[in-house]
Amino acid sequence: MRHSSSTSTKGQSHLDGRHSPADGVTLAKALKAMTEVVGAEAVFATQEDRDAYSDRFPIDPHRHRPYAAVAPTSAAQVQALVKIAVAHRVPIWTISRGKNLGYGTSAPVVAGSIILDLSRMQKIEVDVENGTVLLEPGVGFYDLYAYLQTHKIPLWLSVPGNSWGSVIGNALDRGLGYTPYGEHTRNLCGLEVVLPDGDMVRTGMGAMPNAPSWQLHKYGYGPAWDQLFVQSNFGIVTKAGMWLMPQPEIVRGFDVEMEHMEDLEPLIDALGPLRREGVLQQSPTIGNWFRAANILTTRRQWTDQPGSLSDEVISAIRKQFGLGWWGVSLRVFGRETVVQANLDILEKSLRAINPMALKPFTWRPGDAIAPTQSGWMGVPMTFAMQSANWFGGRGGHIGFSPVLTQSGKLAMEQFRRTYARYKEFGMDYQASFAFGERHMLNVNAVLLNLDDPQFMQRVDPFLRTLIADAREHGYGEYRAHIDYMDTVADCYDYNNHALRRLNERVKNALDPAGILAPGKSGIWPAAYRTQARS
Amino acid sequence: MRRAVLAGIALALSVAAQAADLDGKRLFQSRCLMCHGPVGMGTGLLSRRMKPEVAQLEKREDLSAAYVERAARVGILNMPPITRGDVTDAQLASIAQYLSRGKP
Repeated sequence: MRHSSSTSTKGQSHLDGRHSPADGVTLAKALKAMTEVVGAEAVFATQEDRDAYSDRFPIDPHRHRPYAAVAPTSAAQVQALVKIAVAHRVPIWTISRGKNLGYGTSAPVVAGSIILDLSRMQKIEVDVENGTVLLEPGVGFYDLYAYLQTHKIPLWLSVPGNSWGSVIGNALDRGLGYTPYGEHTRNLCGLEVVLPDGDMVRTGMGAMPNAPSWQLHKYGYGPAWDQLFVQSNFGIVTKAGMWLMPQPEIVRGFDVEMEHMEDLEPLIDALGPLRREGVLQQSPTIGNWFRAANILTTRRQWTDQPGSLSDEVISAIRKQFGLGWWGVSLRVFGRETVVQANLDILEKSLRAINPMALKPFTWRPGDAIAPTQSGWMGVPMTFAMQSANWFGGRGGHIGFSPVLTQSGKLAMEQFRRTYARYKEFGMDYQASFAFGERHMLNVNAVLLNLDDPQFMQRVDPFLRTLIADAREHGYGEYRAHIDYMDTVADCYDYNNHALRRLNERVKNALDPAGILAPGKSGIWPAAYRTQARS
Repeated sequence: MRRAVLAGIALALSVAAQAADLDGKRLFQSRCLMCHGPVGMGTGLLSRRMKPEVAQLEKREDLSAAYVERAARVGILNMPPITRGDVTDAQLASIAQYLSRGKP
């Protein structure tokens, strides 16, 4: 079994870096042919370029260094580049804007890949009446927000905590926001995709030329393929339709703080039924005190002790910023009479669990939006990334995000196990519990101290331990950093890895040359099997 | 009809138009302000190391064009490098000119 070396997720110190099977001469030839397609000004192959397209929140910055990057401006150019990659058998790795911080940034799984940087594909086409947009991958959240504002279009985005990146790229990696449209991959409706042999397909109603409903009906006729191209390496999305939220008449809600760590269980059990019933249409995210505090301050202002923060330090920081052990911002969007009715139900449920603070919130069109409210109001933001400075120097984060149920009891047990492991490995614990409609994502962050090699050596075994612990309870991750894609895929092993075998049958059928993003989500083309075994 | 009109505007904003746009202030606003505006990550972190009133790059008087270009291309502390795919050399030179107010 080619993945036998990583079947056990615990105790393995490093993934072996996998390298492009193409030699330097072949890569140079491929890049020369690609240069003829896009022009020399769109090819980046200096040492500085290779660094710039590497992972910025890495455990090992050298492990995923690309060979070069190429920036096409059209789907036709993407098709031509793919055909060149096939002809030369060189691996390519697609990025939309390359801002996937915490998951690999711009970097490929396979070192020596050529990056297809789609940043320069930036077309925006809005259908105002139907509340949809057709986007190219280079459009960032800030670009789309500015476009809607400039043209006074009453449609709202849902944005992730780091909104620097691509709208499409985030949806294709199943990123999250905080409004009723917060599960971004669900907003996709109709894709244009270049397949790994250079062919092009439009999914859903887009398969019918000039259909006026490409961005309206998600399925078309027969099998629906949109999710085939999400978190996969089966094609390059060059356009995607997305649904946007009509601007609500009013937004109301509460910012809730819960005093004790044990309050997680009643809080989840209070919110879960409201979310499943639809009283809460937003996907609320419960965060611990540290998730709020590490944006506002640095560690050395509170302690010079290594290891996890002590309870005394935690109390002092919480007191300074008025934070509960857990906090959550709940919002209800829509018509005023409906919002008021739902808000009353919400308030009653919250008061029943004795919150430490329950701060009401109201917004109507025309009201200013405070920066701290950005996430719930669909306004792009970057300030949450200030957590990268928690240790005072160069930092970053890597996520550990198992999929849980909406059971308060089970979430509490998972929290206790995880928190104990953070203490065991001397890490500061950042957690959130993000509701889906039926599931819950336990998005934990491991904050990195890139200036401390000893600290960094603990990160990899720590993450592997967390993944192994979760696996024992049937909790797999929803998304992974490039270093952990194999390890996470290994957890999904029903019937002797039937899912991986299916994925790889599809991979080999669509991409027999094995050129597109080898290793993405743990999916390897046949050409890499020998290398992976060795 | 509305869709067609907006599509036309979108095309006007397409990459060809942006690439040709070398207005440093406009480019700074579209490519840098997300972090270096009033509440961005860059401003937040710089305000820990200098007076908050000059933590926004547009308020600085001590930036040279060469410094801005190097900082953007190799990154500083928690600022990731800006790739040449994202911001072209010509665009970055315009941004650097704008921030340095003409100082080389």
